Amino acid sequence: MLYDLNIAWSPSTTQSELTQTLKFSASLGYNAVALNHLIENVPPQPKNPLPRFPSQTSQSQPTKASIGDNNNKSRNVEQKQDQAKDDPSLPTVLHRATVCMSDPAGVQRIPQLASLYDIVAVRPTTEKEFSHACQEVRIEVASLISLDLTQRFPFHFRPKPCMAAVSRGLRFEVCYGQTLRSGASADPRTRATWIGNLMELVRATRGRGIVISSEARRVTELRGPADVVNLLAVWGLPADRGMEGLGVNARGVVVNEGINRRGYRGVVDIVQVAARDDEEGDKMEGVETTGEAQKGKAAAAGGSGKKRKGGANEGRGSGIGNAPPADGTMSKRQAKKLKKLAMEESGTTTPEENKS
Amino acid sequence: MVRIKERYLLVNILYPSEIGVKPGVPDVVVINQPTTDKLTPQALLRGIRAEVGDTFGDFGSGALEGGGLQVKYLSNATSTFILRITRAQYRMLWTALTFMDHVPVRDGKPCTFRVVHVSGTIRKVEEAAIRHARNLMFAVKDQAGEKDKAALEAMFGQAKRTRQAAVVMPTPLNVEDDSGDEDMVDISDD
Repeated sequence: MLYDLNIAWSPSTTQSELTQTLKFSASLGYNAVALNHLIENVPPQPKNPLPRFPSQTSQSQPTKASIGDNNNKSRNVEQKQDQAKDDPSLPTVLHRATVCMSDPAGVQRIPQLASLYDIVAVRPTTEKEFSHACQEVRIEVASLISLDLTQRFPFHFRPKPCMAAVSRGLRFEVCYGQTLRSGASADPRTRATWIGNLMELVRATRGRGIVISSEARRVTELRGPADVVNLLAVWGLPADRGMEGLGVNARGVVVNEGINRRGYRGVVDIVQVAARDDEEGDKMEGVETTGEAQKGKAAAAGGSGKKRKGGANEGRGSGIGNAPPADGTMSKRQAKKLKKLAMEESGTTTPEENKS
Repeated sequence: MVRIKERYLLVNILYPSEIGVKPGVPDVVVINQPTTDKLTPQALLRGIRAEVGDTFGDFGSGALEGGGLQVKYLSNATSTFILRITRAQYRMLWTALTFMDHVPVRDGKPCTFRVVHVSGTIRKVEEAAIRHARNLMFAVKDQAGEKDKAALEAMFGQAKRTRQAAVVMPTPLNVEDDSGDEDMVDISDD
């Protein structure tokens, strides 16, 4: 899965230009892209002006920021991806807002924005804002620090705040499209500044926690994933880190933001509700197979059912499926543990459990 | 014996800025449209050298001179070319290709260079080119097929046009020759 979390959008962008960019991005191999709305001053009543695409029709646009609507909106990225498969010429389209941190009121209004957009990023410009973004902005508020590398920063990226941000789960965004924008209007030093800033950022983070995106304003600013990785490899980001920046790290941001909006306090998430018939079937099975263990029957059936449901999602760390099973169903690992304990207690003599 | 290690880059020229301009033509065909005949190997080399000089300065130009840059194959019909360079410099060359944004001829169209495959031997890069072209053919057929279904039989004209567009995309190197040979062998065996 390849992600491009930044396709620049402004009110002057026409629909045909945008479709062009999205189609080309899909043909280059990106599976999911995010339309980015750069907001300098957040209005008190923010709205989401980003255009919607056919793959998103079934999800309702939340006008009121109620919790129910939230759940509907960012239902699940995977679900959206399923819908996107219907039209293979377009990638999955997410909506993203980037808030300039020079506007302190805007930062406070981010929670309102979060209900309107799928992803929220912050863009610091000064050292104070940068260290604030790295050390104090909570991951629930914004999970992406977007840096405009074409401007000269009046400070150095130091490893400590950068790594603090990365270890808290925030990611730095690097936009390669800014270097390709070498038209007549562009400042000739832009590319040099960009490269300098990038090298410093890579040095400070040692290449960890970087998300690569395009920030393409026109379709000609998009490049293939391999080309991008090579480009950054020349300027010092190792190729494997580069691939991470297009795939794993970007996916982490999307999934994190999704679970923040959907789940309970960003930790507990309902993935799937078991069908009623299925659960009864499980119980019946439990009765048949564990006929001897009469005592823990009901609990065991419940436990095993839950475990089966949670099994697919244990990697996400939802923690539901990790509950210790009731005494009726003992996992092999637990059996071994008990056996070991028994061995230790009884010294060298072999206990009966050895057989089982 | 020490041999000089080389890299072969298989590059496609893509034209993304014309998507949606011509209705009825599949996007794959538009993106991979033929390149102007004015693009010769010499012009291509000149363009690449200029871009490397622009990005890396004298150091880059010198490295490219020493690297033995060569155009091994250039097909305008499929917008495909193969470059050869010593291994030490290939990333520099690749970067220059990434930064190029129009066909390096006078009044060249805006385009994007996409490196499809990098390999150490020309045989592998040729295989990759054939594979890539074949996949492209399938993609075009798929897209044209979808349109056929949607258009139904009443719109024969349009369907035919997309078919023709698909046929315009010849495969590079000798894919068709290969299959033709196999057929011939089969027939003679019979």
